[in-house]
Amino acid sequence: MIVLMSWRNIWRNKARSVVIMISIMLGLFAGISILSLYKGMIHSKVRTVIDRESGHIQIHHPKFKDDYLPEFTITDSQAVAKTLQIPNVYAATQRVVTSGMITTTTGSAGVNIYGIDPESEKAISKLDEKIIEGNYFNTSTRNPIVIGKKLATKMKLKLKSKIVLTFMDSTNTMVAAAYRVVAIYESENAPFDERTVYTTKSNLNNLLNIGDKFHEIAVILNHDEDLDAVTAELKSKFPDLLVETWKQVSPETELMVSTTDQYSYIILIIIMLALAFGIINTMLMAILERTREIGMLVALGMNKLKLFTLILSETLFLTFAGTPLAILLSYVLITYFNNNGLDLSGFGEDMMKEFGFQNLIYPEFPWDKISGLTAIVSVTAILSGLLPAMKALRLKPTEALRK
Amino acid sequence: MNRSTVIDAHNVSKVYNPDTIPVYAVNNVHLHLERGEFTALVGPSGSGKTTLLNLIGGLDRPDSGEIIINGVDITKLSDNQLIDFRLHNIGFVFQSFNLIPVLTAKENVEMIMHLQRLSKGDRDTRVGQLFDEIQLSDKLNSRPSELSGGQQQRVAVARALASKPQFVLADEPTANLDTKSAFNLLDIMLKLNQEENITFLFSTHDQRVIERARRVITLVDGKIASDTAPVNVATTT
Repeated sequence: MIVLMSWRNIWRNKARSVVIMISIMLGLFAGISILSLYKGMIHSKVRTVIDRESGHIQIHHPKFKDDYLPEFTITDSQAVAKTLQIPNVYAATQRVVTSGMITTTTGSAGVNIYGIDPESEKAISKLDEKIIEGNYFNTSTRNPIVIGKKLATKMKLKLKSKIVLTFMDSTNTMVAAAYRVVAIYESENAPFDERTVYTTKSNLNNLLNIGDKFHEIAVILNHDEDLDAVTAELKSKFPDLLVETWKQVSPETELMVSTTDQYSYIILIIIMLALAFGIINTMLMAILERTREIGMLVALGMNKLKLFTLILSETLFLTFAGTPLAILLSYVLITYFNNNGLDLSGFGEDMMKEFGFQNLIYPEFPWDKISGLTAIVSVTAILSGLLPAMKALRLKPTEALRK
Repeated sequence: MNRSTVIDAHNVSKVYNPDTIPVYAVNNVHLHLERGEFTALVGPSGSGKTTLLNLIGGLDRPDSGEIIINGVDITKLSDNQLIDFRLHNIGFVFQSFNLIPVLTAKENVEMIMHLQRLSKGDRDTRVGQLFDEIQLSDKLNSRPSELSGGQQQRVAVARALASKPQFVLADEPTANLDTKSAFNLLDIMLKLNQEENITFLFSTHDQRVIERARRVITLVDGKIASDTAPVNVATTT
């Protein structure tokens, strides 16, 4: 009977209730959309890091990442072959890595220089797919180099431009070599493009004076879920080397993944907090209009618990009435954009890339957060109902009946 | 106290503005009502009729005195105990009907029994009896807005009786009714009083009601100015 009364009570002033229901629906819709967008962006970012930059797992000499000194190499020439033997490893490649200075007639800049095996690198970072000008190392040029579009723009470089790379070799001797730009690539991460250049492993090996050794093994797995198992196996296989997952290689991405949920919930809580004032206002109005009726109910013998339940039920109905529609509406819209992509280039072509995101985002419906969302809505409803309910409980029947 | 005593009030006073200009709404009233009485409380506006009804009904607390209902001094009950006491012992009929507009006539009456946690079977039986008595069996599923004023007040009487109370307090029950509806309501209340021995105490200005009451208590300035002897009071053992 109390629940029936609550349900019917919210329809006594249809216009007012519908307005608050629509505002809750829109607020939730906005919240779910933000969660979906963030989920899509983070998923895209993680895929970019794994599929286009670091791979799932990287292996280094334990001291290499301290100062990136060339002498800390992986000496096991069979390491890549051994890695490929592990089930669930899709591909692996070896890289020579150093940092140095790029110098042109227009200026200089610090860069990370990767010496790669062009063939096996295709399966790891898919660098060949990112080439927008020139040929991917299909050239007889003596010292070929592939640079990012952002760096090319900054240093005013074109195909066949000549540059000089300066870096320290394994004997701490300064080495300088002239290179010719054979290709320009563009990834989804503009800062990465600005600081990363590629040449061939054999070329860089010679200049670093490290023979046939290398600094890094990058590994791609068949499935993301195999990450922990394969990492453990690699650690047991190479106990003297540092085996790291993409989360350790790219801690900023891992931080982004772990904090985005919290940011999303904070935004949702702010939205619901704003809506709570609307709910409180609506319920206070309802209490004010029904003062005499509430006084009568208390006079007839409705106890405080039942009166509290009545008011709180009305608040819950008012709050939750718009929730299914918000979920349905956002599900339909998110499914559409999940299939077709949401092009954010309208906010500025380079803006997303500057933050390492793709322009085309595929939002994902946050099924895993629906329970959290429901909890936030429930808490909002309960908190919003407390003040009106307390106000109703404080009414004295004789005074209320005189209203 | 006699076994048939329903209300026994002694030295009951209610003072408003006690610290500034005290106004005695009810001043040292003694009132004794036995089961089956049909009593009118009359007096000019501001004489304290509604305040006295509120005190006897446990809706307000006196500043002094004691009010014993069926052997229980209700002035000593806590707020929660008082709510529960009202639910099981006192029926109320208000001047402006005060039916819940979102409930049907049946649901309005049934609500009291819901609060008493009666079973559905008991509720249905009692609702059937009450609507027969108020002659509105064909209006069970009507909303208050679909009923006339007289019909609404009859539903309010049924609601007051739903909990099988010790007595019914009615504050100007005919004030908002036309003559026909007022007589119709009075007939029903008298019938319930005579046939089921239900005690009624009602405040009124309405001469039609006063003429049919069997005891008339007149209040002036919060004091009982006159109290006519009860006539033909039904007795119970």
